[in-house]
Amino acid sequence: MRLLPSRRGALRQQLLSRAPSMLPRHLQIQTVAGLRRHLQTAIELEHATIPTYLTALYTIEEGSNRAAAAIIRSVVMEEMLHMSLASNILLAIGGSPRIDHRRFVPSYPTTLPHSDQSLLIGLERFSPAQIGVFMGIEQPAPAGAPPEANQYGTIGQFYAAIELALKKFSTEGGLFTGDPRLQVRPEQYYGGGGEIIAIDAPTEAGRLDQALEALGEIVGQGEGVNGGIDDGDDELFGQQVEVAHFFRFQQIACERYFQPGDTPTSGPSGDVLPVDWRRVYPTRKNPKLADYAPNSELWRMTRGFNRAYMRLLSVLHRAFNGEPSLVAQSVVSMYELRDRATALVKVPTDSGENAGPSFEWMETD
Amino acid sequence: MSEAVYDVVIVGAGIAGAIVARTLVAAGKSVLVLEAGLSAGMDFDKAADTYQGYLDTFYKASAKVPNAPYPDLPVAPSPSVMDVSQIAPGAVDTQGYFVQRGPLPFPSDYIRVGGGATMHWLGTCLRMLPNDFSMASTYGHGVDWPIDYATLRPYYEMAEREIGVSGEVSEQVLPGAGPDYWGEGYALPMQKLPQSYLDQVVDRRVGGMEVEVEQNRYTMRLTSTPQGRNSIPNPTYRRSEPAWNPTTGRLEVSPNGAAPYRPVGAIWDENIGERCEGNASCVPICPVMAKYNALKTFKVARQKGAVVQTQAVAKKVNIDPISGRVSSITWQRYDDPNGGTATTQEAKGRVYVLATNAIENARLLLASEACKNSPQLGRNLMDHSVFLTWGLLPEKAWPFRGPGSTSNFPTFRDGDFRKDFAAFIAPIDNGGWAWPTFAPDSDVSNAVNQDNLFGRRLRQRMGDRIPRQLLLHWEVEQPPLFDNRVSVDPQYRDALGNLRPVIDFQITDYTKRSFEVATAITNQMFARGDIRNASAYSPGNAEYVTYKGVGYSFNGAGHLVGTHRMGRSIADSVVDAEQRTWEHKNLFLVGCGNMPTIGTSNPTLTMSALAFAAAETILGDLQS
Repeated sequence: MRLLPSRRGALRQQLLSRAPSMLPRHLQIQTVAGLRRHLQTAIELEHATIPTYLTALYTIEEGSNRAAAAIIRSVVMEEMLHMSLASNILLAIGGSPRIDHRRFVPSYPTTLPHSDQSLLIGLERFSPAQIGVFMGIEQPAPAGAPPEANQYGTIGQFYAAIELALKKFSTEGGLFTGDPRLQVRPEQYYGGGGEIIAIDAPTEAGRLDQALEALGEIVGQGEGVNGGIDDGDDELFGQQVEVAHFFRFQQIACERYFQPGDTPTSGPSGDVLPVDWRRVYPTRKNPKLADYAPNSELWRMTRGFNRAYMRLLSVLHRAFNGEPSLVAQSVVSMYELRDRATALVKVPTDSGENAGPSFEWMETD
Repeated sequence: MSEAVYDVVIVGAGIAGAIVARTLVAAGKSVLVLEAGLSAGMDFDKAADTYQGYLDTFYKASAKVPNAPYPDLPVAPSPSVMDVSQIAPGAVDTQGYFVQRGPLPFPSDYIRVGGGATMHWLGTCLRMLPNDFSMASTYGHGVDWPIDYATLRPYYEMAEREIGVSGEVSEQVLPGAGPDYWGEGYALPMQKLPQSYLDQVVDRRVGGMEVEVEQNRYTMRLTSTPQGRNSIPNPTYRRSEPAWNPTTGRLEVSPNGAAPYRPVGAIWDENIGERCEGNASCVPICPVMAKYNALKTFKVARQKGAVVQTQAVAKKVNIDPISGRVSSITWQRYDDPNGGTATTQEAKGRVYVLATNAIENARLLLASEACKNSPQLGRNLMDHSVFLTWGLLPEKAWPFRGPGSTSNFPTFRDGDFRKDFAAFIAPIDNGGWAWPTFAPDSDVSNAVNQDNLFGRRLRQRMGDRIPRQLLLHWEVEQPPLFDNRVSVDPQYRDALGNLRPVIDFQITDYTKRSFEVATAITNQMFARGDIRNASAYSPGNAEYVTYKGVGYSFNGAGHLVGTHRMGRSIADSVVDAEQRTWEHKNLFLVGCGNMPTIGTSNPTLTMSALAFAAAETILGDLQS
């Protein structure tokens, strides 16, 4: 199945109309400060998946595995959109996204922030096992699973808790106090698998709608509609609906596209999606700067990569804290990251495996 | 397919054909498009692979000429700038696709591929100026158009939406353009592309300076250039795409009602190419398709039902001898692009549109013996003569970055001087001295071979020189000349037996005098800007001319204009003001061939505006 433009409007409707799930009070987010912390976590969570996806993407040999690379790339772009949407929601409720601090960058392998710690994600080359990890990251919530405010089994549950809190605090009044001029707008954000939503309506109720719409975009894209996986509802696989992340990765794992009529239980049964697992640079798992002798070439290349990564986070931090036009500048850093990463994956190390991007925090001047 | 009768049959899948096809299918008409290029070029399911193939070919090509990424097909050949060389007096040069009879070789190219010349265009989108439409009555050169600027303006607005033009209207202070040129509150779909650092350095050094030319003084003000590549969408731009209103018989646009403009990215992935990334290989190919090409329009036309038949070479326009109407188009379907057998088929429609390009349209009509009572058919072939001057800046301005050109000096686009010498626009080229000297490769080989540099000193030389290169274009108007023409000759044929274009070409003193003027301006600007002039013109260059005893070289611009111009009678033109041929009432010609003069605008935007106007007329004809 080709990835068709999504019927996002309909998907959003479905999410927004969903009545707040049954949720014991002790599991709800209790304060606005707590909601801000959750949204900061959401930004970190969306970001944390990106290095692991990018590492797989950059280990694919140029010109090979184009369909698989396009799928991974499309998911990365949507994760960047999700990170930006979560930032806009946080800005809208008077918070400040913090993107350029040490704790923002996980040390891989890592568990996802605020999760139930069952899934370890690392920086590894493109392989069937790693695609399995990606599917685990994007695992849809089981039908009826309640959101939990502390340990979340899936990303969808985590966002459901945020959704409940947004509705609750906004209804109580005065939640959306952020300066609308700080919002990153469609003029500034692009190419991220959908349109950014600025939360700038004149009324509290309008902003809540926009925030829920933004949240719906995140959840709808990432995992599909809650419950879809178990219901066997073929709604997700109609002509018009973009395949959710989990199912996109499933197509790579099964080396086959979905086609209209497929259900979550049937799996993909469409055209062959050609995958050549051998045309991959044999990089080592979770490389670190400390793996290399100081001032050696690989040490310098890795440090150069990490510095570029820091520049990217720094410009994004400024973009989401008052200078939204800087989003355009961040694209330059993203290309620099790609160029440095694709250079690293071609260099053998003493272990026989190749080097790779390490995505580590560094203090910079 | 040969059974079907379409509302409209269009020959050529370039931008003019794309706009006509899209507009017609959006109005519910059935459309067949015949495209000579390979099927892969229009197979949108495999667009990512095909386009990557174009890129790979381009990256490996030693000469990065405009046609480098695209296949040259013996069954549907394309001219190449690589084939342009001096022609001895009386000789005929047949080495390329063009049969060149001189005295000067015609130095421009085009490409027969899905998407047409927009696959290798730069993307500059300048409207023509009001006086360009009245050259004969205002300045005594060339001819007047049968329509004026005001008539074309609403269609320019449609074209700017379709192409997706980035630019800042308030900065477009142009000679001869009054307050009605843009109209109150008009904005382009996207904000201007950032002007390059090189532009900023040049602006600081010479921007706004006065120059003296033939006893008159002019101000050289640098201006941002509108262009068909994606930038930041303009939040105030809410114009809709044009829609056919059968009651009024017009294409109508809602000026404020549409959703915010969203840049159109790559045809294989809408998330790629939503912004220009400054890759700097715009001509010929943008790696992310942030530059518009006609495939973007065709993708929509296809979704709305346009049928595209590829590997289909139009052979003959068949005329009913009694009614004088076109009865069908004979076309050849080939399987092997290198030759072999081709099957011959007929395409039938109620209306026919030739949308190849100025040279191929004229060639096909001449080969078909159509429009034979129009003495102007094939005549008045025009292009811009691109005269180059270049120098070394005293500081590093870092060319070879960003889109091909982001700023221009519009000073000499219009004025009383046009009575004496040709108008020109002067863009800054962001590509260093690449065009005239093959920089930066030649810088390296000269430093090694002539100056015996190597190692650190070689690197220092490159680091010192290449970042300081400045290249200016002076794109000079050529007036329509009856003897600059496309013709056919039965002895010159391609692999399918189709007649090749035979070309006669020269330029006159009206154009050459502007080379002298441009040289004088360059000298004054370079003196003011402390820029060391390095311009040199070799008598060995293909396009070498002398004026008042001084030698100049120029290049082609790829702006093929004028071979079937519009006018007021069959004696002075091939099509009427509605772009319908005088002789065959159901045959329309679209493209730059309809333009009576070329002005100083890259012609694609004007061609696109005219294509919308033609589509509107065709819809009216189909209705009645």
